[in-house]
Amino acid sequence: MTHSFYPWLAPSWKQLVRGWERLPHALLITGEPGIGKRRLAEFLAQYLLCEARKPDHTPCGECDGCRWFLAGNHPDFRLLTPEDQSDAGEGEEAKTKRKLPLIKVEGIRELVDFVNLTPHRGGSKVVLVEPAEAMNTSAANAFLKMLEEPPQGVTFILVSHHWRRLLPTIRSRCRVFPVPTPAAAVAADWLAGHGVVNPVQHLAHTGGAPLAALDDARAEWLPLRTAFLGHIANPAALDVLGVAAELEKAKLDTGLVVDWLQKWVHDLIALGLSGRIRYYPDWRDDLARLASRAGNLLGFLDGLKESRRLAHHPLNQRLVFESLLFGYLEALRGKPRGTGHG
Amino acid sequence: MAYQVLARKWRPKNFAQLVGQEHVIRAIANAFTSERLHHAYLLTGTRGVGKTTIARIMAKALNCETGITAEPCGVCSACTQIDSGRFVDLLEIDAASNTGIDNIREVLDNAQYAPTTGRFKVYIIDEVHMLSKSAFNAMLKTLEEPPGHVKFILATTDPQKVPITVLSRCLQFSLRQMTPQQVAGHLHHVLTQEGIPFEPNSLNLLGHAAHGSMRDALSLLDQAIAYGAGSVEEAGVRAMLGAVDQSYLFDILAALIAKDGAQLMVAADSIASRGLSYEAALHELAHLLHLVAVAQQVPGAIADDLPARDNILSVAQALSPEDTQLYYQIALHGRRDLPLAPDEYAGFTMTLLRMLAFAPAQPGQVTLSQPTPVAANPAPVARPTAQPPQATPVQVPPAAEAAAPDAPAETNLPWAQEAPAETSAPRDFDGNWRGLVSQLKLGAAGMLAQHAEVSAYDADSISLRVAAEHRAVATRDYQEKLKDALAAHFGKPVALKVEISEAVADTPAAQNQRERAARQLEAEDSIQNDPTVQALVRDFGATVVPDSIKPL
Repeated sequence: MTHSFYPWLAPSWKQLVRGWERLPHALLITGEPGIGKRRLAEFLAQYLLCEARKPDHTPCGECDGCRWFLAGNHPDFRLLTPEDQSDAGEGEEAKTKRKLPLIKVEGIRELVDFVNLTPHRGGSKVVLVEPAEAMNTSAANAFLKMLEEPPQGVTFILVSHHWRRLLPTIRSRCRVFPVPTPAAAVAADWLAGHGVVNPVQHLAHTGGAPLAALDDARAEWLPLRTAFLGHIANPAALDVLGVAAELEKAKLDTGLVVDWLQKWVHDLIALGLSGRIRYYPDWRDDLARLASRAGNLLGFLDGLKESRRLAHHPLNQRLVFESLLFGYLEALRGKPRGTGHG
Repeated sequence: MAYQVLARKWRPKNFAQLVGQEHVIRAIANAFTSERLHHAYLLTGTRGVGKTTIARIMAKALNCETGITAEPCGVCSACTQIDSGRFVDLLEIDAASNTGIDNIREVLDNAQYAPTTGRFKVYIIDEVHMLSKSAFNAMLKTLEEPPGHVKFILATTDPQKVPITVLSRCLQFSLRQMTPQQVAGHLHHVLTQEGIPFEPNSLNLLGHAAHGSMRDALSLLDQAIAYGAGSVEEAGVRAMLGAVDQSYLFDILAALIAKDGAQLMVAADSIASRGLSYEAALHELAHLLHLVAVAQQVPGAIADDLPARDNILSVAQALSPEDTQLYYQIALHGRRDLPLAPDEYAGFTMTLLRMLAFAPAQPGQVTLSQPTPVAANPAPVARPTAQPPQATPVQVPPAAEAAAPDAPAETNLPWAQEAPAETSAPRDFDGNWRGLVSQLKLGAAGMLAQHAEVSAYDADSISLRVAAEHRAVATRDYQEKLKDALAAHFGKPVALKVEISEAVADTPAAQNQRERAARQLEAEDSIQNDPTVQALVRDFGATVVPDSIKPL
């Protein structure tokens, strides 16, 4: 696994190692989604558990500790992710997919035993929580005491895409370690190395996060998005009901479609007011055609935010899409719905 | 890896080391010195202000072998054991993990037994707001009258979630947030003791960034030491915090004032390229706009030693107060909505663009196709300020003079135009009751007027007839109101007589009714005679639903 360490994480790793003797017992790794924070956290965990660390500050990959870790069953390592709970209902996957992934309090309570027992290998113990904001209120609160003063040798690594959603009491107990979004050139090179045909474009779609861009390039829904953008680029010919039905049939995540639309509207407004495009440079002509009406869309953007907040609720998808698209059309026609301005 | 983070290493061991909670410490210390001990304490305050710390020090103070004291010795076995967390009579309970009634019952069952080694059995229940309702209730009796050897110390960040029955049984101390100066002072102390080189200005930055919490400050200090590879420098701390240099914000404001979207994005990009935090930027922007608003309303309130004073004052000149308020609102909302944007950059730029889009634009330089609701605001606001100087000369002469048609000064006042219209109304009643009623402003008395018919009238009096079925509207109250309205209309008192009679046909209400019926008939006729409708009825067997026809 050491060989697949992403190139842009190297400076972050160096920075971590440089302050090694001051490594805190609770580290909060933050950054945009899709830039390899989880990988960095795992690398750190492996390094902590490695029993024969190499002088160049990488885990050896050969000792018992490393081998166990790589096989995913190191007794002194715990991974807390929301997937743990959701794999129970595999049969009805469509249903579980819509649920908000949460880390529940039971997972944290099991940790108490793990943390307070002496380690199996006599070395350190590592707990990785990813993403930390997935802990629900009671889980986060139950975590507090443990996080503040764990026994000797226990390290908590929290990974968070949106650290602002964490409880302030959690945040204050951790040392924050921000991972920067990689430079576009580095990310594009890496993507090209992974056989992505048009790296710059995919990077733009995801706002510069390379792993997310890789997903973007390989996603099954790629043609669907192209079709969707094609539809909304021609509002005059937009068949709202048809498009909504199509999207629903594809069984996409509501949040994903809201995200597409949000980025599209963002581009429209940004182009109309300042002449910049961030996400969809490949649609420049269509965007430019609609951009003159950009000012009307600000109200619609508020509505989109609300939909994003509700994306995990079990609402009727088709109705959500229909209402969003109708809202979009109305906004373009200059009749912003009565959402609060400013 | 025996490194302990600063927040843990520097957790105060006695009251003297605590920073910033003098009001609480004084009360507790005095109580301990005079041995007036309450059996249950509740410590509240935000994260990292010293709740758990004070609880532990209290446990030491209660159990120190030198006696109950405000200054635990720190060397006796009780003190050292409490410090290392293995004192048998100190039970520190994490209420967030043990939320249920069973957990609490278990704990309280043991309360009756005497302490093993110490003087008191001390229960520290931390994060107490997470206890379930039944767990709280199970505690009540024990909490009210515990055995003499039991002391409870509850700690929480969220006292609102604690039932009042618990609150009333506890002595509550709310801990204050630390001021940035206190935080910086403590950090200074810590760094000196640790032997780490630092620049004093960096500590002020950290003090502000900690938002009143000492643990936040120490966590940030840890981060800053790691960031600066063993030293704390101002530039490093600034970079680490993503603290936004105000010059960027003035660039943004300048672009907003100039209504220059491209320039605005350039300013936003310069924040992005330096890796500054967008949230901090919006926060600072809101803060700056607040200062600008203050400068506009109370110019003297801006401190002279503020580094950006001149810039703020010049922005205050260039920006209208309405815009300032609007931008402030948008910045606040933008900050709230940041997690809902596709990414933070988008959220930030969109907030700025929103400010640009909602700026009240002048006709001619509008880039947007539609005026925003806010754009209409300045006009009504401007009017009241313009009125007083003009209004004074008008109010002095009597109303009759104001009615003179060729008084040029008043023609541009909105109400001056109404005055002639009112006084030119007929001085005497001409028999057109319906027309008169429609001119009067009657309110509820309008019912009476609508259902009345004029039976006789002369210059000073009007007699009305009201149908028996509408007797209810002919009360004395309504008559008085109608009389007043008539007097106001004609400018002289009018005698009003109302009689109830059997047959009344010519009231305004009846006239309206008749006209409506006529229009309805007309409409129905036109539908029935419409060739298309006739064709539909003939060819498709359609029927016309008569009730659904409405005159235009």
